Amino acid sequence: MAIVTPGKRPCARIAKSKVFGAKFARGKKGGYAELMLTSLVDMFTIIVIFLIQNFSASGDVLYMSKDIKLPYAVHGAQLERAPVVSVSADAVTLDGKQIAQTEDLTKSDVLNVPELEDALREQKRVYDQIHANDPEHPFRGLVNVQADKKIAFKVIKKVMFACNQSGFGNITFAALAKGANKDAAAAPVN
Amino acid sequence: MAGAAPVESGKGKKKALDASLNLVPFIDLLSCCISFLLITAVWTQIAGLQVASSGGPPNEEKKQETIDVKLLLTDKGYALNIAGSSIDIPKVQDKEAGLTFDRKTLADKLKTLKATLPDQQAITVQPEDAVAYDDLVNAVDSCLGEQLHAVTVAPLN
Repeated sequence: MAIVTPGKRPCARIAKSKVFGAKFARGKKGGYAELMLTSLVDMFTIIVIFLIQNFSASGDVLYMSKDIKLPYAVHGAQLERAPVVSVSADAVTLDGKQIAQTEDLTKSDVLNVPELEDALREQKRVYDQIHANDPEHPFRGLVNVQADKKIAFKVIKKVMFACNQSGFGNITFAALAKGANKDAAAAPVN
Repeated sequence: MAGAAPVESGKGKKKALDASLNLVPFIDLLSCCISFLLITAVWTQIAGLQVASSGGPPNEEKKQETIDVKLLLTDKGYALNIAGSSIDIPKVQDKEAGLTFDRKTLADKLKTLKATLPDQQAITVQPEDAVAYDDLVNAVDSCLGEQLHAVTVAPLN
């Protein structure tokens, strides 16, 4: 008797059967395994829907810095694109460009900040030049002020004064949207 | 996977009832969408509190001002000044932060003010020099929360 591999062996009749014979076939298995893609597509679809829900067409208005920890606000509106004055513990910057040292502003008793005023006036001049033939977009004097939550009002008032002096009278304080009005912050302002 | 009805070939040989869709292009599209959305995602929700500063251009809403309401932020706490009469709201002891401004009482007082004067829109917030940006934003936020939309920020001194 021939030596065979241990295991179940069909009898000759079953081995020849078209129905049951395949069960005992010892041929080579296919090299390709079929992946179950349905669950993968489901997962991708859920991720896409979640990301679309959180999508913001206006993008990032502020330059978020590690040095600046913003306070929270519940009743804020959405920020509009405008020049951003950032006040950290170290420096005052306009659109990321350093204008003055915060320490100097804290120590000084003078209200105006000439460097910031000049930089803002330059921004206004550029805006007026660009929109000279565009009466639909007049200069509105919008400026966003973001400051670290521990910055004293002594510095903030100097920044506000400089904004006012250079024609940027519509000041918007930046804060992190919190709680009930998070949707309002994401909604456009009329 | 989705199925589709087979088309009769007419040769008598039965085709399988399930037709498989090619999902690979669909997965490619979804991958591109995910990459794009992840790159352009804005994770921090920023709120803006619009204020006017003293000496700035006249605001239209200021014209609707009915009485002079001032909110003073001092080292002792809030002082709500309504047409000359002052209401002091002293700081309260917080377990974590120590002495803090009493926002809850301020909100109640502003609510009472708004109930008495429904047309009142204007308020002037006057912080001391030492008041932190956090406390200023909280005060402005409380005012906006009580429908006092024309907030003006002016120095106290």
